[in-house]
Amino acid sequence: MLTSEVKKLLVQIVGQENYKDSNEMRLVYSYDATPTFQSLPDAVISPRNKEEIQKILQLCNEQQIPIVPRGSGTNLCAGTCPTQGGIVLLFTHMDKILEIDEENLTATVQPGVITLDLINAVEERGLFYPPDPSSMKISTIGGNINENSGGLRGLKYGVTRDYVLGLEAVLPNGNIIRTGGKLAKDVAGYDLTRLFVGSEGTLGVVTEVLLKLVPMPETKSTMLVLYEDIDAAARSVSKIISNRIIPTTLEFLDKPTLEVVEDFAKIGLPTHANAVLLIEQDGPPEIVSRDMEKIAMVCREEQALSVEMAATEEEADALRTARRSALSALARMKPTTILEDATVPRSKISEMVRAINEIAAKYDLNICTFGHAGDGNLHPTCLTDARNEEEMERVEHAFAEIFDKAIALGGTITGEHGVGEMKSPYLEWKLGKEGVEAMKAIKQAFDPNNIMNPGKMFAKDSRKRVLV
Amino acid sequence: MANTQSLIEQLHRIVKDASRVIVDHESLVPFKSDYSSEGTTPLAVVFPITTKEASEILLLANQYKTPVFPRGRGTSLSGGPVPVVEGIIMDSTKWTSTLEIDPNNLIAVASPGVITADIDKAASKHGLMYPPDPSSLDIATIAGNVAENAGGPRGLKYGVTGDYVLGLEIVTPEGKVMKTGGKTMKNVTGYDLTGLITGSEGTLAVVSQVTLKLIPRPKETRTLSATFEDMTLAGNAVSAVLQNGLLPSKLEFIDQACIKAVEKFEPMDLPVFAEALLLAEVDGTGENVQKEIDEIALIFENFGGCVTVAKNETESNRLWKARKLVSPAIKALCSWKLSEDATVPVSQIPAMIKRLKTIGEKYNVPLVVFGHAGDGNLHPNLLLDKEDAGQLERAELAVKEIFQSALELGGTLSGEHGIGMLKSPFLKNEVGETGIDMMRRIKKAWDPNNILNPGKIFSADDNL
Ligand SMILES: Cc1cc2nc3c(=O)[nH]c(=O)nc-3n(C[C@H](O)[C@H](O)[C@H](O)COP(=O)(O)OP(=O)(O)OC[C@H]3O[C@@H](n4cnc5c(N)ncnc54)[C@H](O)[C@@H]3O)c2cc1C
Ligand SMILES: Cc1cc2nc3c(=O)[nH]c(=O)nc-3n(C[C@H](O)[C@H](O)[C@H](O)COP(=O)(O)OP(=O)(O)OC[C@H]3O[C@@H](n4cnc5c(N)ncnc54)[C@H](O)[C@@H]3O)c2cc1C
Repeated sequence: MLTSEVKKLLVQIVGQENYKDSNEMRLVYSYDATPTFQSLPDAVISPRNKEEIQKILQLCNEQQIPIVPRGSGTNLCAGTCPTQGGIVLLFTHMDKILEIDEENLTATVQPGVITLDLINAVEERGLFYPPDPSSMKISTIGGNINENSGGLRGLKYGVTRDYVLGLEAVLPNGNIIRTGGKLAKDVAGYDLTRLFVGSEGTLGVVTEVLLKLVPMPETKSTMLVLYEDIDAAARSVSKIISNRIIPTTLEFLDKPTLEVVEDFAKIGLPTHANAVLLIEQDGPPEIVSRDMEKIAMVCREEQALSVEMAATEEEADALRTARRSALSALARMKPTTILEDATVPRSKISEMVRAINEIAAKYDLNICTFGHAGDGNLHPTCLTDARNEEEMERVEHAFAEIFDKAIALGGTITGEHGVGEMKSPYLEWKLGKEGVEAMKAIKQAFDPNNIMNPGKMFAKDSRKRVLV
Repeated sequence: MANTQSLIEQLHRIVKDASRVIVDHESLVPFKSDYSSEGTTPLAVVFPITTKEASEILLLANQYKTPVFPRGRGTSLSGGPVPVVEGIIMDSTKWTSTLEIDPNNLIAVASPGVITADIDKAASKHGLMYPPDPSSLDIATIAGNVAENAGGPRGLKYGVTGDYVLGLEIVTPEGKVMKTGGKTMKNVTGYDLTGLITGSEGTLAVVSQVTLKLIPRPKETRTLSATFEDMTLAGNAVSAVLQNGLLPSKLEFIDQACIKAVEKFEPMDLPVFAEALLLAEVDGTGENVQKEIDEIALIFENFGGCVTVAKNETESNRLWKARKLVSPAIKALCSWKLSEDATVPVSQIPAMIKRLKTIGEKYNVPLVVFGHAGDGNLHPNLLLDKEDAGQLERAELAVKEIFQSALELGGTLSGEHGIGMLKSPFLKNEVGETGIDMMRRIKKAWDPNNILNPGKIFSADDNL
């Protein structure tokens, strides 16, 4: 609960219309896209500029009030669930594209800009902003940066981090820090830009972002490959890469996912196949056609049922959109959808897919798998019901086992969704005690009073590892 | 003294092989300096070859409160490995046991002392490439590259060392061993410690193993050179190439003084009459390479460039050798060389070149310019006479103005060489009080006794 005095001060800072603490508002911001996490904030505030954010943070730092920065709340790790109450900070007033610099190929934006709006704005100028999380229609750049989000184009173009040249942030003590610049290279001191990217709102509030753009690729080509054998699909992924071809996109969907997506999108997806790969390449026409031929050959060698090229851009776009809707489509099936994003070295993809299926069978669960196969980043998704306690317990065991397998294969527990509150108990599994301590030391250095998104990333207790 | 004695005994206990602990004065002297500056004679130089040894050395150093200076080949141009106070040099050049290429995952794993060029050579056997290519690649170590986040000519298209570091094994200043990142392409498990350690100049951790990303090796490369009668026009040509959406793999700038120096150092028929020389390399496959070469040639010609396309590999190798020789060649011309690497946004390259010319004239110091023009990273070098006090004073003012110009044009003090000891007094101008404060807090959190590479990045007036 905020005291009436604090409330008065906050209203003074942002104006009455930007301070909300009605029960409805608090309820709306009590959860995000992550299932099974809910907790009420004390207030929801929409600051209009960085100066207001400075004042809010100074006040909250003095009063030790938690701050939960929130973009669109589409994160899948309970990263914006206000589990310790406090203030949810929205960026609805800070949603402008400030500059697109065509000479230096950069964009300067505020954190509340919707990812797709930025992509469209730069494409109008013949430029390209590659990171395209499937949630891009609603997600914000501030959220993308704090989760270091990936997307369908990540295989070739990398993730959000690879496009952040600099940023401005308000620190918990109210100071403003600016990092990086419009530069291809910059090694002046520690790389605080990279430290902020993926920091999940735990180090400060990002108020401005400088992004790198690239020239638009000349052409693009898309194909869909069908498989009888899931293993063969996964093997194809590894083989394409070890043939030294890096396509733009290399996505995997298993049969249960396909069926659900087709039911949702109705574009005639082949639901008879046990697995499909969605593959795209972009660049100069000769290179694209040469690479696609080679990829097709590799897939056929792996006994693909069929290899179909999209004939038109509309057809290609329908396929991409279908893939992007996988999670939303799955979420319609059951009251609760629990999705993971364990990531393994790319050569281990087929082993990981096999392990997921075995684990699903062992715990008698309905797990569908899709994901950014080319990056080794899979999303095993469990369709379940949070009200069924007995089943939820099995789900938890199954996912613990999936994490364990991923780490054993040289992988990690999260490739793009972040740790948040949800995976914080597992952080130590991957990083070891020393790793967690080292990160905590950084958190402590930036935020000694622990007001920035408390409870995220670092758990009170680490989960005991069940050895299987 | 007694303390030093027992410290050295302890070092011998940790590193049993006597040849890997140096304590005699004469052998210690070369370790006072790097390529740019000189410090004090260290107490000892120790060459660990295992993580366990490195960890124990740091534990010991904490116990004795003795500084440790990590060192590779000492090619740093910012005083990075230089012992500014008495301490132990931890040299990783003998630590070369691992160099593995994993062709299925497009990954290389290397020990800290592995020479950078050896990694690319090993990768090329599998049709792969490790792109970062600092001009010192034949002598520098991979850990030194990681610690400096070194760049190179290919950085224009392929990025710098940091873009290829997937994971590290590190020993913290307090002797703890940990792994950051890993073999996966994506990883958001907690803060990006890999990114933090990269470029931290040996002040946050000793790097004990590096996991690197490799990429498919381009099938073909072609080189083209162009001479210009006017340096600023060459600068304009660089900007124009990039703004036309072309991305050569390399785009380097050499001014007349450097061309002449190389020609004197090793005669190879370079165009000594040109005011500037641009070298561009394009890579990819057949038709595309030709197309890009043609487009670049056209732009260069539009700015008055006289273009020659290298006919074969021998010819391209000669040009790139000339580029590589610039640094040693100009060093041979003077008793003291001040080497800068201020970096500006691409659109400001012509402005920066113009300003450098003016600064050299204004302070009456021999100022030569070469560098990775394509990414805005120029290397203005002052060729000085150690004995000429007046000139040294003017040089100091010139350097200040170079930094100021870079910052005014939206640039940075250092694009690739690092802050080290030489640029630390200027860091505040770029990152601000708050920036320094946060960096300092990180340093303190990790290294409470300030054991690891003290006196670097943070300026001497810091009371760390
Ligand atoms: C259907 C669906 C598909 C998805 N697909 C992908 C995908 O393909 N790839 C992928 O990586 N992720 C994906 N996600 C996850 C999610 O969309 C991303 O993590 C996204 O970046 C979150 O953006 P957001 O604006 O919703 O941020 P939020 O969820 O609101 O916040 C995310 C984190 O950022 C912090 N934050 C937000 N703004 C700021 C700020 N200004 N300053 C400091 N901290 C801030 C928050 O505190 C939180 O920790 C998907 C999610 C859904 C629901
Ligand atoms: C002729 C010449 C050309 C050059 N060209 C370029 C260029 O094109 N691009 C460029 O970026 N640089 C260039 N440099 C600078 C230099 O080569 C690089 O900075 C290189 O990365 C240094 O490597 P090194 O092995 O010599 O390391 P050193 O110079 O010995 O050390 C550099 C830094 O790394 C730290 N360090 C070394 N080993 C470790 C370890 N195991 N763990 C933690 N920290 C460690 C040191 O403490 C120091 O701060 C050039 C230098 C010369 C002399």
